[in-house]
Amino acid sequence: MSKHNVSRRQFLSYTLTGVGGFMAAGMLMPMVRFAVDPVLKADAGGDFIATNQKVSDLTTEPKRVDFTYEQTDAWYKSEETKVAWVYKDDNGKIVALSPVCKHLGCTVDWNTDKSNPNQFFCPCHYGRYTKDGVNVPGTPPVAPLDVYDYNEKDGMLYLGQVKPHKGA
Amino acid sequence: MRWTPKDIDTFDKAREYIDTVLVPLVPVAFENGMKQSASMYDFITLLTAAIEHQFKGRIMLMPSLAYLSSVDIDKRMELVNDWKNEIGSFQNIYFITSDSEWKAREPEFAGTLIWMPSIPLEHFGEEQVRTMVGDQARQVFDLFKRKWNEA
Repeated sequence: MSKHNVSRRQFLSYTLTGVGGFMAAGMLMPMVRFAVDPVLKADAGGDFIATNQKVSDLTTEPKRVDFTYEQTDAWYKSEETKVAWVYKDDNGKIVALSPVCKHLGCTVDWNTDKSNPNQFFCPCHYGRYTKDGVNVPGTPPVAPLDVYDYNEKDGMLYLGQVKPHKGA
Repeated sequence: MRWTPKDIDTFDKAREYIDTVLVPLVPVAFENGMKQSASMYDFITLLTAAIEHQFKGRIMLMPSLAYLSSVDIDKRMELVNDWKNEIGSFQNIYFITSDSEWKAREPEFAGTLIWMPSIPLEHFGEEQVRTMVGDQARQVFDLFKRKWNEA
């Protein structure tokens, strides 16, 4: 036991400082949070949607990746499923192509046309695209497939907005 | 294409490419089988949405043609024939349903009836529903691809 006795005055001043400090902190904390809020927002989440695809499992062969997000249509909320064809190009760079045919919006498949192997094929009007998404001249589509923005987080693939193909 | 103004605009510009119409036939019952008819509607709605998604540029998905289960099948057949005549300008017209009553009238449809047994989706989670409807839809995909290849 300590021999030092705490006087009434000391006790009261310690207590008041402590309680006052807590109150001040309680008021200031939310204010500080508001002020720095934009900084605290997670940036990786942003507009990117998680998929179940491990980046390390990707090969040079395009793989169909399904991912879902919630979409609101006026009052009707629904889970929208989106698809991407994802592969690694010769330099090991990830390529995520939108499967929406640039002709009239059907969903294209990889390598399903026997007479034209290793191309994206649209079953509706037999449109074709090469592996990098560029439309084959002479088939109905007039533009290359759109490309998804992508992100990698904890080894998983995240997909974002679709952008027009650059190398047209 | 769906039955929306935006898709109809696209359709007007690319008429020659959209040669197939899909009409869902959905029964509505109030006394007996209310829940079953709702279940069929649910299933057919999801299934046709999957089909439309795959073949957006070639298939026009019509609003569901709903009818009362209590109405006599001959009368209903008339309704279907009216639709058929009206839509006649399309090369292919398909009716899709889970209602087994149509099955008996299949010859009258002359190969344009697609009958898919309904799955009671309400017992399953979202992920399972997607997989099951996707599997069923794939059967219909093949059917369409085959039909188009014949032409």
